[in-house]
Formats: sequence, C-alpha cells, structure tokens
Amino acid sequence: MTTGNSQMILVQGAGWSRGLANALHGELKRWFSTRRWWVQIIIWAACVNLIYFIIALSTPKAELKLDTTVMLFNIFLGLAGPIGASIIMQSAVVGEKKSGTAAWVLSKPVSRIAFIFSKLIANGIGIAVTMVLAQGFIAYLITYFMLGFHLSVWGYLAALGVHLVNLLFYLTLTLMLGTAFEHTGPVIGIPLAFLFVQNLSMNFLPAMALYVPWTLAIPANGDTSPSIAMNLMVGGPVPHLSPLYVALVAIVLFVALAVWIFQKQEL
Amino acid sequence: MTNGEWIIQTRGLSKKYRPSHALKGLDLQVAPHSIFGFLGPNGAGKTTTIKLLLGLIKPTSGSAAIFGLDSVRDSVAIRARIGYLPQDPRFYEYMSAREVLDYTAHFFFKGPQSVIEARIEETLELVGLADKADRPVKGFSGGERQRLGIAQAQVNYPDLLILDEPAASLDPMGRRDVLEVMERLRKYTTIFYCTHILDDVQRVSDTVAILNHGELVAYGSIESLLAGSEGIAYEVRLKGDTQPLYNTVCGQPWVKGIHAKAAQGSAEWVVGVRDPEAAEKELFRLLASDSQVIVTDFHIKAHQLEEVFLQIVEGDRHDNRK
Repeated sequence: MTTGNSQMILVQGAGWSRGLANALHGELKRWFSTRRWWVQIIIWAACVNLIYFIIALSTPKAELKLDTTVMLFNIFLGLAGPIGASIIMQSAVVGEKKSGTAAWVLSKPVSRIAFIFSKLIANGIGIAVTMVLAQGFIAYLITYFMLGFHLSVWGYLAALGVHLVNLLFYLTLTLMLGTAFEHTGPVIGIPLAFLFVQNLSMNFLPAMALYVPWTLAIPANGDTSPSIAMNLMVGGPVPHLSPLYVALVAIVLFVALAVWIFQKQEL
Repeated sequence: MTNGEWIIQTRGLSKKYRPSHALKGLDLQVAPHSIFGFLGPNGAGKTTTIKLLLGLIKPTSGSAAIFGLDSVRDSVAIRARIGYLPQDPRFYEYMSAREVLDYTAHFFFKGPQSVIEARIEETLELVGLADKADRPVKGFSGGERQRLGIAQAQVNYPDLLILDEPAASLDPMGRRDVLEVMERLRKYTTIFYCTHILDDVQRVSDTVAILNHGELVAYGSIESLLAGSEGIAYEVRLKGDTQPLYNTVCGQPWVKGIHAKAAQGSAEWVVGVRDPEAAEKELFRLLASDSQVIVTDFHIKAHQLEEVFLQIVEGDRHDNRK
C-alpha cells in the first residue's frame, strides 16, 4: 500500500464509490468556484425569462390571463432547458474521453461508476440551480410583482420539480450517449432530434402524449389541456402522471446503461 | 524471486484490435526498485501495455499482475499505489497547477490538509513549477504541462511510477532534471517508463525491454543488452602492413570475424569474438607479436543502446519482410 507520509490519512476501499467524493468535489468546484454558474444563469435568463419579462412589461394588465402568461414560461423552459442540458452534458463524458482527461482521472483510484456518478450529480445540481431554481425564482418574481398573480409556493415548487425531471431525462440520455459514442455529433444530435420528433409524433399518434416527456412541460401539440408543470403552477387539476413515471423510469434506465457501457469502455 | 515479489508480472498479455494485434503474448517481470526502460518504435505497443497495466483497457488474452494483484479484477486497488504520467498529459484547464495536485492528492489521502499542502509545495518545487503554481493550466506550455504531469504522478508517494515519455517536450535542462528525479526516486519506488530517448535509458535504466510490432524482441539487463547480439567485440587501430596479421587473426578459432576499414593512414578493425576469455588472453599478444605492425589503440567496443536498438528493430523488420 502507498505508505506516503506517515502523517497522512489514506483513503481506504476499492469499491464502486472509491473516488466519488473527490471527483464530485472537483465537478462541483467546476460549477460553483468558477464563473460558470452565474454565466449559465444569465444565459438561461436570456433564453427563458427575457421574453416573459418583455411581455409582462408591455401587455396591459387587463389583457393578461394567468394561464397564458404562465404557459409562456413553461414553454420557454421546456424547450430551451433540454437543449441546454444536452449541450452541457455532451462535454462531460465524450469531451473528456476525447481530450484524455477521463483516462487521466481513471488512472487514479477512481471507480468508473464513481466517475459517471460525479458527472451526473454535479451537472444535475448545476442544472437544477442555474436552469430550474434560478429561472423559476426570476419568473416567480415577474409573475408576482409585475403581473400581480399570486401563485401557490408549493404548487410552483412542484412544477419546478417536474421541469427538473424533464431536464434530467435529457441530461441522462446525453450522458448515456456520451459513454456510447466517441464523437459529439450523435451525442448532441440524438437528444435534440428526440425533443422535436416527439412533438411531431403526437400529431400522428395522440396517445403518445401520455408517455413522452414533452407533456411534462409543454402542452401536447393541438391539445388544449395544459402540461403537468403548468397545472401544478396554476393550481389546476393534475392530469395523468404517466409521462412523469415514464421519464423517471427512463432516467434510471439511461443511468444504468451509461454505467454498463462505460464499464466496458476502452480509454 | 517468487511471483508475489515482482512489481509487475505479465503472462502472455495480448491485446487485439481487429485486424491486427497491438500486443502479442507479452511475458515480462519488473523487479522492485528497478528503473525499467520500455522501448520500441512508434506503434510498437508500449502505450497499449501501459493502458493494460492501469486497467484502462482489458486484455484479449493473458494476464498482468501488479503487486501480485490482477490488473483487471483489482484495478482500483492497484491504481491506489501507482503514479502515472500519460504521453500527452491533459488536465482540467480551469484548475491551476496547485489545484491539479490537490485534486490528485485527495484521491489518495483524506488529510490532514496542512500535510497535503506541504506535500504539494514540495512537489511543485521538485519540478520547478512553484512560481507558476497558481496559474490556470490552460496557459501552460508543453514543457510546463509535462512537469506538472511528473508532479501529479508522484504526489502520492507511489510504489510504482509509470511514465509514458517523461522527457518528451522538455528542454535539455528539464530532461536532466527528470532523470535526476527518477534516480532519486528509485530508493522509494519502482519506475517503469517508455521513451524514445535512448541516451536517457542507457544512463538511468537497469533493465530494458524492446517491443516491436507488439512483440517482445529483447529483454534483459542493460549490460547484457549492450553486449549486443554481436557479442563482445574489440576495436583495434593499427599502423603498418596489416594484411598478414589480418589473415592470422581471422584464422583463430575464437574469432567470429573482422570488420576492417582504412582511416588516416591506419587500419581500424572491429574484431568480433566467439570466446571472450580466449580473446582476452590471446588477442593483444597476437597483435603485438607482429613486428610489421604497431598497435596504436586497443579496447573492448562499448555498444551504444541506440545501435543495439536499431539492430534489433531493423533486423526484426527484415525478418518480417521475409
């Protein structure tokens, strides 16, 4: 065993979690000890809340309806969020495989499961903070102070939770693809293609609305019933939750596949 | 030495990437506290071997044991005792040199932080990066990256140091420093390293293996390798009429052959011998006994590793062509 300096306390164990704490610490530092977190907040504020803010500023109060204004925020986050999550995650595994940093980290006593989990947890937290919580908070302030609508805090938080599940779906899908492919093209292309194909598919097969993650955040195409997140925000009756269950199962499946593929990967 | 005492022991270690073998049946033993030079032309399979030892790739067949542990099954436990410098070291570019070392050290040590920091400081001094410790790695030159690579490889006091081209992209002073560090570390660790700089190998290594087309073509102590495939030879410089003496020496049963050439009024011979003991007793006496000839120089030929390397690798190339 590496004896090192006798004053040092050795990290013990060689199981699946070996190296997780340090790898995760490093990943969280990359998010929150650099300017990355506030740059991301500004980017997503521009993508998600800027138009919402402009509409709130320019529309006469008498013409505003809670449903339609809140729907705008949900649509912007529901569309821009998956794109952002996929862009952020594509560099995490495939980028590191290409640059050689994955091989460098894995030459240290770090299990491959710990490596994958450190990417997943840190990026999940980064996205939750910068894309969901920060944007949700800004939107809540706009809705409350500029539009004068008082939303239930718990319903609003539950809706943000649904948005987080939606983003985690794309995050884990991109993570899994990142372990399987060596180039960024398919890793970013497949999630983005899926995002838009599921909307088209509902035109031909309306029953798809019960299963695809699209309806977590955005109403189904041509469907007048709001999305799960919108209903939770405005306090309406919660529609069918099957898209939520399907998304949660898919997230678990994507993570399991990512671990399985990465264990066999040659670096 | 028994199985458990070797630091590295491979048995028939092979890796196949369709359609060809990157490594074919490698059998190797590395003794504790040795500096093991692993040589071969580009694409010979050196980096593949290192990746197999580190568990970054899995063998197609055969096995490797490091510290007596299996390189596939016990990979994490093995890596807990290893320091590794990749051929082209890449680090997280948002980190400074100090942060890279801190990040690396925390995979091995929990604390105390003050002792870890002292170790990092010592390591930065050792590789000459103390004044650049807080600069982001993003702006580092190739040589600075290489120095940081060496620093992170030995920050954990490894029992085995695996270095892939440690002196690449370093200036002559940097190269000298790296060799000095390696010699100093030998007391505490075993060093397994790949390089193209054969002078360095000859200077610091005690054991050498040469790989070509994925196959081990030479393996042994540096002395035995330097004795060369030619065996022992004598370099002789003579003046006068050397032809009768040439015939006499050639006729000796212990002489393998003479390579003769003329140079500045002298004759230069390289006398290859079959029986070193007989040659030691007889050769000089024979040369000196000829009154027509003056012996102006006489010594055992010192083979250079580069010669041996080229002979082996190029000989192998000719064999493959046949």
